[in-house]
Amino acid sequence: MDGPFELMSVIHLVRPAGDRAGDLEALRAGIARAEPATLFYHALQHPLRRPDSDEARDDDWSTWVRGVVQDGETAEHLAYAVQHRAGSADELREALLEALGAVPEKARAVRAAPAGAEFTFLTVESVPVPTGCVAHDAAELMTGLEDADLNAWFYHLFEQPWFAGGPPALTQWLAARGAARLARAIEDEAKSGRGLLTLRRRVLRRWRQRRLGSRIAAAAGATEGDRRDTERAAVAGLVRRITRTDEP
Amino acid sequence: MTRVEVRADGPPLIDGYRAAVGDMALRSLEGLARRLRGHRVVMVNSTATGGGVAEILHRLVRLMNELGVPTTWEVMPGDARFYAITKTIHNTLHGWPGTLSASDHEYFHEVNRRAAAALALDGDLVLIHDPQPAGLVLHRREPGQHWVWRCHIDLSSAEPDVWSFLAPIVGRYDAAVFSHISFVPSLDVPAYLVPPSIDPLSEKNRELSDDEMEGLLAPLGLPARRPWVTQVSRFDRIKDPVGVIEAFLVMRRREDAHLVLAGGSADDDPEGAEVLAEVRAKAGSRSDITIALLPPDAHLTINALQRRSSVVVQKSLREGFALTISEALWKRRAVAASAVGGIPLQVLHDRTGLLVRSVPGCAAAMTRLLRSPDLRRRLGIEGREHVRHNFLHPREARDYLAIFARLVSAAESRAA
Repeated sequence: MDGPFELMSVIHLVRPAGDRAGDLEALRAGIARAEPATLFYHALQHPLRRPDSDEARDDDWSTWVRGVVQDGETAEHLAYAVQHRAGSADELREALLEALGAVPEKARAVRAAPAGAEFTFLTVESVPVPTGCVAHDAAELMTGLEDADLNAWFYHLFEQPWFAGGPPALTQWLAARGAARLARAIEDEAKSGRGLLTLRRRVLRRWRQRRLGSRIAAAAGATEGDRRDTERAAVAGLVRRITRTDEP
Repeated sequence: MTRVEVRADGPPLIDGYRAAVGDMALRSLEGLARRLRGHRVVMVNSTATGGGVAEILHRLVRLMNELGVPTTWEVMPGDARFYAITKTIHNTLHGWPGTLSASDHEYFHEVNRRAAAALALDGDLVLIHDPQPAGLVLHRREPGQHWVWRCHIDLSSAEPDVWSFLAPIVGRYDAAVFSHISFVPSLDVPAYLVPPSIDPLSEKNRELSDDEMEGLLAPLGLPARRPWVTQVSRFDRIKDPVGVIEAFLVMRRREDAHLVLAGGSADDDPEGAEVLAEVRAKAGSRSDITIALLPPDAHLTINALQRRSSVVVQKSLREGFALTISEALWKRRAVAASAVGGIPLQVLHDRTGLLVRSVPGCAAAMTRLLRSPDLRRRLGIEGREHVRHNFLHPREARDYLAIFARLVSAAESRAA
């Protein structure tokens, strides 16, 4: 936690993982063999596909089992496993295998997709993209996050902690810089299931509110001229925010 | 002259894309461009005009230069015999019967060898599009260069003998890129999935005023009061235009609507003319079906047609990626389309459109959409957002730069 924090964005390059499943038994075998990056892609990468949506998206497996194999009950169990037991690759794999294991072996082989509609396992290679922000304190990091794209939010709040285990390095760094409440609030938002765009909006709103209090306290002891300058800067910042074209 | 001069007049493309996708969505593209400063990209294909690849390259090359990644585009020279061979390669990779002789193989290599000497290829990041120039890698690869092969073709039914001729060549690349998982053959190099994309600024997709639309559509004489159900595609059996009419006739028993089948003229395509005759016979003298033969440059008319349609249909029996779907979704249209090829990536059933698998299914989807303006509106809004995030040119440019960044990083790691 020593030293500055480099804010990174990420691009996911999608690749075939090499496995295909035509029925629930093959799906079970594929999940048992899958690399963590494959589990991550099919279960957890959805927020990036529609970052503006708050609607909870099903993972790829339950979508396939529900829509193609047409086994609604197993699809529910898979979706539940992803929603509640996806803290790590091992935990997720175990939960998915349990959900599929609840279907008798013979039934697993019979519950199949039509020809040509098999499930193809994919994987992702993450390409890190520097945002240009190297923060030395919480304010710099939050300003960096304000400017960063949603991939950066996804990377720091979902991808990095999932692969590394434990809380996000970003919130740990914030907590170590005296912003423990903010860090906790960000972690809570990340667990809320909201879309990335909403998450970003809510975190930044909280940050601005928090900053407002400390600004007022600082301004109380400032000279009239300094206060006027601060007011001008605040109005300019507001205008910048209003006129920025983040959302077309 | 092998280098294509890309037009750079008018306002910067990046500004137009910023307006379409938002400032934030361009930041990772700009970040990748910064990451690749000091590198040079060369794109190579076989034609500067006509066809989807050339259309995309005109935009991508300009965009990448605006982003600060020097990018050039070279067209591989060839002759009639070479193009006949590559036509056979193209068709057989799409699954049509055909073979290449040993002398065809030799001539393919010979032309690639000559082209390798003629082209500048003066970049360290080389992106080769489709099979025609694939062989350049055998003759001009230099140390420090990264070569990527971009296949725009559906290889899922490729003729094995023809693919076995190409596969060792593709094996000499650092990576290969395909549009859809079902198109990826067995390969010894990393394969990446990069879906194709549409250009929100092009004539086919830009916003149109009501007056413009009226002017464009007036010559077609379509009824103003009935909702239109439209399929835009060439007259080809795999697009199933006869199936569309059958579905329309089933739907028409209950709903009032007008069917528009719009496609290119079939004058130079004997099979297309045959299919067109079948379609005309099926439509008979019905006044609620319009068969519109449009010239190849009727982009604005297609744009207006899609925008004015209540339902856009794509009832293909087989598809590559079918970007007509993304075009319709971008215009917030309600779409009913077959669950084949790349369509299910664009049409998420009941979220961005309706997927169908049969004539009755297509009729049911048309009926459902025509009866429910709310459903059409909801699917249209979702569909546009889905396309905004996944199927516009900036995303495709970003994916190519990410692949190059990945290759450069891997090489740097190996060197360290």
